[in-house]
Amino acid sequence: MTRFSVNDRPVEYRMDPETPLLWALRDASNLTGTKYGCGTGDCGACTVDIDGEAICSCLVTIAECEGRFVTTIEALSRDRSHPVQQAWVAEQVPQCGFCQSGMIMAAAALLRKNSNPSDAEIDAAMTNICRCGTYPRIRTAIRRAGRVMRGEERIAAAPPPGIRPADAARAVPALRTPHGD
Amino acid sequence: MTGIRDKVGQNRSRLPHVSRRSFLVGATAAGGLALAWSVWPRSYDPNLTAAEGEHVFNAFLKIGDDGHIAAIVPQCEMGQGVTTLLPQIMADELGADWRTIAVESAPISPLYTNTLLVDEDSGAFMPRSLVPDFVADVRSWVRREWAVRHAVMLTANSSSVRMFEGPCRAAAAQARALLMMEAARRWDADWQQCDTQDGFVILGKKKLRFAEVAAGAAKLDPPPEPVYRAPAADPLYGKELTRLDLPAKVDGSANYAGDIRLPDMVFAAIRQGPLGATRLKSIDRRAGMKSPGLLHIVEHERWLATVARNWWAANRALDRFAPVFETDGPPVSTTRIDTALKAALKADGYRIRQKGDVGAAMEARKKISAHYAVAPALHAPIETRTATAATDRGHVRVWVATQAPAQCRDAIARATGLAPSDVTLFPMMAGGSFDACLDHSVAVQAAIIALQIKRPVQLAWSRAEEIMRDIPRAPARAKMTATLDAAGGIDALIARIAAPSTNHEFRARLFDGTPADVAQREAAGTPDAVAVEGALSTYDIRHFAVNHCPADIGLPTGRWRGNADSYTAFFTECFIDEMAARSGSDALSYRVAMLGESPQLARCLLTATSLGGWEGGVAGTAQGLACHSMRGSHIALMATARPSERGLQVQQLVAVVDAGRLVNPAVARQQVEGGLIFGLAAATGATTDYGGGIAAARKLGQLGLPRLSQSPEIIVEFVDSDRDPGGLGEIGVPVVAPAVANAIAAATGRRIRRLPLSTRPL
Repeated sequence: MTRFSVNDRPVEYRMDPETPLLWALRDASNLTGTKYGCGTGDCGACTVDIDGEAICSCLVTIAECEGRFVTTIEALSRDRSHPVQQAWVAEQVPQCGFCQSGMIMAAAALLRKNSNPSDAEIDAAMTNICRCGTYPRIRTAIRRAGRVMRGEERIAAAPPPGIRPADAARAVPALRTPHGD
Repeated sequence: MTGIRDKVGQNRSRLPHVSRRSFLVGATAAGGLALAWSVWPRSYDPNLTAAEGEHVFNAFLKIGDDGHIAAIVPQCEMGQGVTTLLPQIMADELGADWRTIAVESAPISPLYTNTLLVDEDSGAFMPRSLVPDFVADVRSWVRREWAVRHAVMLTANSSSVRMFEGPCRAAAAQARALLMMEAARRWDADWQQCDTQDGFVILGKKKLRFAEVAAGAAKLDPPPEPVYRAPAADPLYGKELTRLDLPAKVDGSANYAGDIRLPDMVFAAIRQGPLGATRLKSIDRRAGMKSPGLLHIVEHERWLATVARNWWAANRALDRFAPVFETDGPPVSTTRIDTALKAALKADGYRIRQKGDVGAAMEARKKISAHYAVAPALHAPIETRTATAATDRGHVRVWVATQAPAQCRDAIARATGLAPSDVTLFPMMAGGSFDACLDHSVAVQAAIIALQIKRPVQLAWSRAEEIMRDIPRAPARAKMTATLDAAGGIDALIARIAAPSTNHEFRARLFDGTPADVAQREAAGTPDAVAVEGALSTYDIRHFAVNHCPADIGLPTGRWRGNADSYTAFFTECFIDEMAARSGSDALSYRVAMLGESPQLARCLLTATSLGGWEGGVAGTAQGLACHSMRGSHIALMATARPSERGLQVQQLVAVVDAGRLVNPAVARQQVEGGLIFGLAAATGATTDYGGGIAAARKLGQLGLPRLSQSPEIIVEFVDSDRDPGGLGEIGVPVVAPAVANAIAAATGRRIRRLPLSTRPL
């Protein structure tokens, strides 16, 4: 049986039950924010949230997901408002960005349980590999996201997607709507 | 890509008649082809497409009736921030509001040729017939003409800003002039009295949005020479603007080649067998065809691809087909690589650079020598090679990340028998690359598969395939020999460096489509100046020489973040440290004494050691230094590192960088931090052994790449500078390994002369 929830929607995958969750998400659901990097649980680029735990989706089959709740980067927030996403932009963490969905999902799972993790706890939770070398910023961004979650700080660094042209024109004097002002 | 010609440039009469020859000479005199925008021959009009309500100003800029400004970026975004930096330069010169900037990838066009790279590195980026080895004085216009004709739009060698700052600024100045001319026409004023600011043309109290004048402005004739904007009170240039690509990179919406989804698209996996002259010999068709979910197989002379409704099913099917490969000649192995390097080092090799008379200076003197060895370095980007391809009545469309789009298109055309004009390339962001995207195998394979199965397909290499078929940075060995004067200073030094002739084989692969094993064989034994780049390049030594000893290692090699500098800096900086220790000198003052001709580097060193608290390099301090200059930038690094029970502990890296003027200091800092961690990975791993033509490592976890817990404290400072920008992508990489090796020597008294750092004997 391969029925479970993906981003709060019930799904049944008509695929081989041994298919790793990663490929059901990417190739059947077109949730391409979750990345393939190794298939062996080494890099963490495919990290998703399953019932509150950060798990490498390349290592869990869709059969094993039966009845569980899977959340991917696409649904961490609908508008980039999650404190980790905001902190990630504020600290300019991503470079090539390929590993970052997994990094962000791992960081979000860590902070949900403990919004003030120690260095050792961050090290233990963040075992993802980044080749661009974003590590120093990841530590800083996790601390900052933690402060936001604890209500000590607010960030508005990443704009929400899908801003309407008319709203943009109201905020930016150089813009105008196609039909004039 | 055959772009749709826009109206810009259709008015033939406004282009002055220039012969090809005078054009080239003129361009050279102007200091860059793209700078000479007013004299482009007809065939080089911008081939941009404009959306409805969008107006093409030139090859770099479009402006919309709604006020959006589309900045065209002719470089591959692979994390270095180029899709922010070049737009930032253009927005600054335009007087635009940063919030109105959009970014588009450039189509393939000679207008975007990276002439700087071709000039700087003609040994690597030119066909051999045009540049005899060693001939540095080939007339630059020959190089440029060739590069322009082939639209050599390379992203490499930390050259994006160095190459394109001038053209971007000139293009923005041209667009700005046109906007002001149109506004002035409406105001019945002199356009030269106008200015621009925050997306408006202004004249006294009068203001018009770019949006309002764009349509008219795009039809006007530009002034013959660019007229630049006076420095703004609050310039965008130099500001720590947030990278434009970040919002899409925190919610999963940023698309890489593997994120393309097309109607009816299927997924392919591939197996290519051992390195070398390998052919697919047989497959177990009966077992393979029973693979669940298998849709198609494509058998190629050199590989087998399987196609299914999801990638995992395709990749699983490969195992069931159990492809058998046959390889001619001796297989690639670590033993063979080592043997070839050692043998090459016994010969004198070819003298690439020299000063003074090193032979006479060393004669009958006591010589001190040390040997060093560096393993091949894998790219190991987190994104494995991936491309998506779709065919339609004799056309093929390919989505792929490439650092050389025209050569990628040509490679696809060559392999499929299509005309280049029937190949459309969609340049994607790269998930890392580090120069891996200078290889186009995956794009070619995807196109072949799509043509054969007649439906859209996405091909992704498995991680094992990525490791096994990566074309790594070359391994190298060096023998460094010096004579010391009475005070212990180096008065003569020879660096003999054994390495394959990487750049000849790279060039044959990139421009001629030569298979990697053939290119490797053909290049073997030829001198290659680029293979020893960066050796002894900074120190003022009275007599020195750098020799390249070409080694036929059997393993194809290629370009990589940091290139040859990543091993030559290890040889130089370790050896200098050894000589300092031998003469009882402080490694800092020993270096500074030889940096009389590199004051910028000396300043970096002094600042880094002051920031890091340099304790004089005495035994037991666990501090090590290294410094290096490349691509117009300088870096000094102080590392604190010591071995521990849990392995090597790199505790702190303090880097001071002089990269000239910084377009965006935040992006610059990212690049140096990232380069240091990339260098750290290469100091401790990022390699594999080879046996029987196959890489021993199959999993990412076997490459010893650092994770967050192994990431040291990093401090990066930039020297304030007004000089032209230097490169930033690679400058952090080469100094890490020698600084860490020197720190370990200080901490333990043991000298490690091998990369990845290991006490295994040479």
